[in-house]
Amino acid sequence: MEKKTEIAKRNDQNIEKTRELYEAARMVDIYENEDEILLYADMPGVAKDELSVNIDNGRLSLSGVRKLETSGAASWEEFGNVEFVRNFSVPQTIDVEKVEAELKNGVLALHMPKSEEAKPRQIEIRTA
Amino acid sequence: MFTRFSDIDRLFGTMDLLRQRLDNLYTDYGRPYGTRWLMDEGFLRANLYQSGDNFEMRLEVPGMDKESLDIKIQGNYLEISGSREQNLPEGYKVHKTERGAGTFSRSFTLPDDVDSNRVEATLKDGILYLTLPKSEAAKPRQLSIK
Repeated sequence: MEKKTEIAKRNDQNIEKTRELYEAARMVDIYENEDEILLYADMPGVAKDELSVNIDNGRLSLSGVRKLETSGAASWEEFGNVEFVRNFSVPQTIDVEKVEAELKNGVLALHMPKSEEAKPRQIEIRTA
Repeated sequence: MFTRFSDIDRLFGTMDLLRQRLDNLYTDYGRPYGTRWLMDEGFLRANLYQSGDNFEMRLEVPGMDKESLDIKIQGNYLEISGSREQNLPEGYKVHKTERGAGTFSRSFTLPDDVDSNRVEATLKDGILYLTLPKSEAAKPRQLSIK
């Protein structure tokens, strides 16, 4: 929503932007069981320090910046420096304190455990 | 009339916003049908750089480890194949599966012959780095002027 006003308003204090990183969305897998939501996201070439995972008020945003060092003249280039961005809505029942993120072989695995109250509960039926 | 680059930036920003809105519209229906506009797709994408004696190659191979990758070189022919497993955990319900799985293969014809004995390959953060030294005949040679 913020972006909307930002676009509509012309601000003369706007300093001319230098070259921005191209934004792209990469493929994700999302799984869920009774205890957690599990997300896998492809992040090839993103170092651990350049990756940020943000959960705020039911909104999960992933952002990973890829900066590749190049040497020599390019004969062909099919990928380059990019910022991988993707946003999701997550239920408020996620236990934010216990979220775990793991980056392996360019794939981010994000474990989002559900809070105790949100887990399904078996109700015992008593006979009167 | 655009007088400044920031005006053009803003124009593109508006287009991005529209695209994102449309994407959200489609993702409501299970499969991320609309995201194809935004998706950065393709597998085993490659960059090739030349620097004097070497070719440097970069390939995107997210989710593959070194055991599942196979590199073959003959002369100036290079073939990379690999496989990626669907890491579907047991007992989980699936919401989205966009990341592909299966076997992949791609072959390249390099501009020059390569000394296959001295090729080095490293895998880091889902990118495969190949250093391919050119064969003696293909190397640039310094000529002395008589």
